[in-house]
Amino acid sequence: MYESSPSDARPFLEVRNLTLQYKTAQYLVTATWNINFHADCFERLILLGPSGCGKSTILKAVGGYIKPAGGEIRLQGKLVTKPGADRGMVFQEFDQLLPWKTALENIVFAVTAAGRLPRRRAVAEAREWLHKVNLAAFANAYPHELSGGMKQRVAIARCLAIKSPVILMDEPFAALDALSRSSMQEELLRLWEESRRTLIFVTHSIEEALILGTRIILFSPHPGQVRAEFTPVRHNTGQGLGAKELRERIEQLLFQDRVDYAV
Amino acid sequence: MPFESNDGARRSRNPDGRPHSPPLLFARPGQGREALPVEPPAGAPPAQAPVLWLDAEYGFTKAGSLPDLRVHLSVFERLRQVTAVRKGCIVLLLALIWQIYAALLDNGLMFPTFSSALLALYEAAAQGELLRAVGTSLRVLAAAYAAGVVAAGLLTVFALTTRLGCDFLETCTGMFNLLPAIALLPLALLWFGLGYPSIMFVIVHSVTWPMTLNIYSGFTGVSGTLRMVGKNYELSPPAFLFRILIPAALPQILTGLRVGWAFSWRTLIASELVFGVSSGSGGIGWFIYEKKNQLDIASVFAGLITIIIIGLLVENLLFNTLEAKTIRRWGMK
Repeated sequence: MYESSPSDARPFLEVRNLTLQYKTAQYLVTATWNINFHADCFERLILLGPSGCGKSTILKAVGGYIKPAGGEIRLQGKLVTKPGADRGMVFQEFDQLLPWKTALENIVFAVTAAGRLPRRRAVAEAREWLHKVNLAAFANAYPHELSGGMKQRVAIARCLAIKSPVILMDEPFAALDALSRSSMQEELLRLWEESRRTLIFVTHSIEEALILGTRIILFSPHPGQVRAEFTPVRHNTGQGLGAKELRERIEQLLFQDRVDYAV
Repeated sequence: MPFESNDGARRSRNPDGRPHSPPLLFARPGQGREALPVEPPAGAPPAQAPVLWLDAEYGFTKAGSLPDLRVHLSVFERLRQVTAVRKGCIVLLLALIWQIYAALLDNGLMFPTFSSALLALYEAAAQGELLRAVGTSLRVLAAAYAAGVVAAGLLTVFALTTRLGCDFLETCTGMFNLLPAIALLPLALLWFGLGYPSIMFVIVHSVTWPMTLNIYSGFTGVSGTLRMVGKNYELSPPAFLFRILIPAALPQILTGLRVGWAFSWRTLIASELVFGVSSGSGGIGWFIYEKKNQLDIASVFAGLITIIIIGLLVENLLFNTLEAKTIRRWGMK
């Protein structure tokens, strides 16, 4: 049904049989069960699913912040065991910027700490990145003086500035108003064109998935499992879904899962 | 297809055979509407969005032809915005009431006037007696405060790195925070004798526990996101502590320092009043005690005023400035 990816080598990023669990006071809860997917180099992979499907948890596991209860994650064949600057992360929360540093200093800090550049070059690069996200005028503003959209732009600039080959984004636009969200989506695509990375983007919005993704993995909740995968058609054979059909298909799958678990 | 079989299962659960309205995650137009519990009242606007819209445009006044959008406030109004001015007025009012009441009472032994207290303050300051006393008190305080801060820091590190340390800290702060420092004075007297070692002991006690509690809760309260950001950059443990944890916990650390200062200053004065003299140099508490014995009540008031002034200076000049330069500027408070 789907086109298989070229299987000449191991995938760039591989998630195999990933099971994630967490403890509450009373229970050991299985959040995701036996997840398998991969990401190719320079792909914009979307992890899409309703809330509670563990997609953010999966992303944090790829980031190395959560230890898998089962299965493994490999980046270029190397086992992921801890957080690292090769997987830059952008969070949903606005408080991801260090509040005691200005927009510029936030990027400089990231570049000197993770990118290991000397300070003078780091400042120059940070200015360049602020310029790229149209915030050159706000270099010396503290995070609390910026709007939500501006903070997320600084966070994205900070993440791109450390030059990690993989960018992990955990619903970075979810807390924004609709207008800023769509302009941020455009901006992200533009930035990605300028400096290509492998992007893994978590969202619960079908709209956003269709705008940003080059491939979509759909998760079902309780516990999170891979429900479907949508891959672009590479050679036109007359088969495949259009954007409208794809949206309806995703809605149908989500809607069906919701009914399955409704009490 | 699983979808159809599920649909069938849902119908069979419904007694009157009407299909459930499924909770819609992504509603499609028109779907699920027939199952609304209450019919919309007659005459209500239609549920569908209007298809046609009317357009009405209004003219607006350009800013230039409006009256001034920003008008300067009068000097009086601007002064009224300054908190220090308002608070100063209250202090003056209280001083005035004191002066009038004491003058009417006319009993310098029980309640001297404000002016005589000020005069006594000036004389004691001019003779150097008061300054010496203040100097003695502050020296003791600084040493004990520093020891308390170091102890609090060590305890916090211990608590953050081990489970045992965490339990130890929570148990100890829970118990000793309830123990007023003054209650330890008799024991301190027994262990360290009359004089400043005893006072140091009770001050360190009064500083350490509330400060530890604040610093520790500051560290544990650092948001998970900021921690993950620090981990993302592969910071070394010391760099993580100094570049992420301490700045992120600074609001609580400053609160801890402030609370520690307030506790230690009160404890110092109180314990000096009880036994504040060693080798002829007493602190400000001793100054008050001595003047009371000499029935120089105006000087007693002068001592009290000095305590308030020093407290205010440290609060405003030190802590408030520190706060304004850091956490207020960063929007963390």
